[in-house]
Amino acid sequence: MTTVTKKGTIVPIMGTITESYNLSAALFGKTRRAVLSLLYSHADESFYLRQIARFSGTGHGAIQRELKHLSAAGIIRRTVRGKQVYYQANPECPIFTELRSFVAKTSGIGDILRSALSPLVDKISIALIYGSVAHGSEYQSSDVDILVVGEVTFAEVVERLGPAQETLGREINPTVYPPAEFKSKIAKGHHFLKAVLSGSKIYLIGDEHELARLVEKRLAD
Amino acid sequence: MSLRDWLKNGWLIEHQTSTQEIEDLLSVADRDLDNCQTAGLSPDWKLNIAYNAALLMATAAPAAAGYRATRDAHHYRVIQSLAYTIKADARLITQLDGFRKKRNISDYERAGVVSDQEVKEMVILAENLRASVIKWLRTNYPKLLQE
Repeated sequence: MTTVTKKGTIVPIMGTITESYNLSAALFGKTRRAVLSLLYSHADESFYLRQIARFSGTGHGAIQRELKHLSAAGIIRRTVRGKQVYYQANPECPIFTELRSFVAKTSGIGDILRSALSPLVDKISIALIYGSVAHGSEYQSSDVDILVVGEVTFAEVVERLGPAQETLGREINPTVYPPAEFKSKIAKGHHFLKAVLSGSKIYLIGDEHELARLVEKRLAD
Repeated sequence: MSLRDWLKNGWLIEHQTSTQEIEDLLSVADRDLDNCQTAGLSPDWKLNIAYNAALLMATAAPAAAGYRATRDAHHYRVIQSLAYTIKADARLITQLDGFRKKRNISDYERAGVVSDQEVKEMVILAENLRASVIKWLRTNYPKLLQE
């Protein structure tokens, strides 16, 4: 019997993605891992500080220090365009290829999806995995269900998730709600959204505080 | 890749269409485009009807060119074939295929997986597809259109 191995290695997720134990977590701290994961999984794109901070869920200060170290070592490239400073993976770095491969091989489902959605990070308030993958009862072939709340279209989201679907070898099913519709349906006790919010979740963008703010704001209106 | 390659792969079979068949496909698509906007329907159901309109429009194109998709993975093939008929861009195909998958998730627990915004997007997609397919038919197979 021939066994076909999947591209990359998916490290099983235990608990939430931030608690997941993986090779990358053993080697690097949270901030460095997040910066390398974002910049080296989108090596042909550049990002500014706010996007990187939002992606990593870390404060601007910690990110700035990390960017400074990595730029000084030539691992990432810093460019100034107008008033904005951009950071990008440095293709001239002697270990560029190795780092890219390292990031691809050590990413878990959450990392892969978070990275896929990262170009939309400014427009997304909350993105989370729910359903069987989130509560750890999935089979290898289970679909990955994602809820996205933001000023983005379904088209933009499926377009970004397409390559991640190939990498994971699993179907990804996103549901996209603009914040206003999300708030209004929560306030009306929408069955599906209530079930998602009360069940297990893996946050990809935003966190429970942001979700609470989004929901409470509506209740306070 | 072309529709002829698809025929060789067994994804399409040859098909003789008629003015009547094209007319029927377009008129049912128009009916669905109208019905999907009926007030009071759930978003899931609206999406389903609008998707059906898009699939009928997408079916009319290979039919005019002399083909139809085989039963296996029928919807998937019809959607992907738009790249070779009306030269649809990858984004439209990805979006429509995303809606195809969404439509398959219809069990009770997930009855709310469709948002109102997604319905709007699906309706716009179906309307745009209708315009593109009719334009393409008018240019390439004008005799099949009763105008």
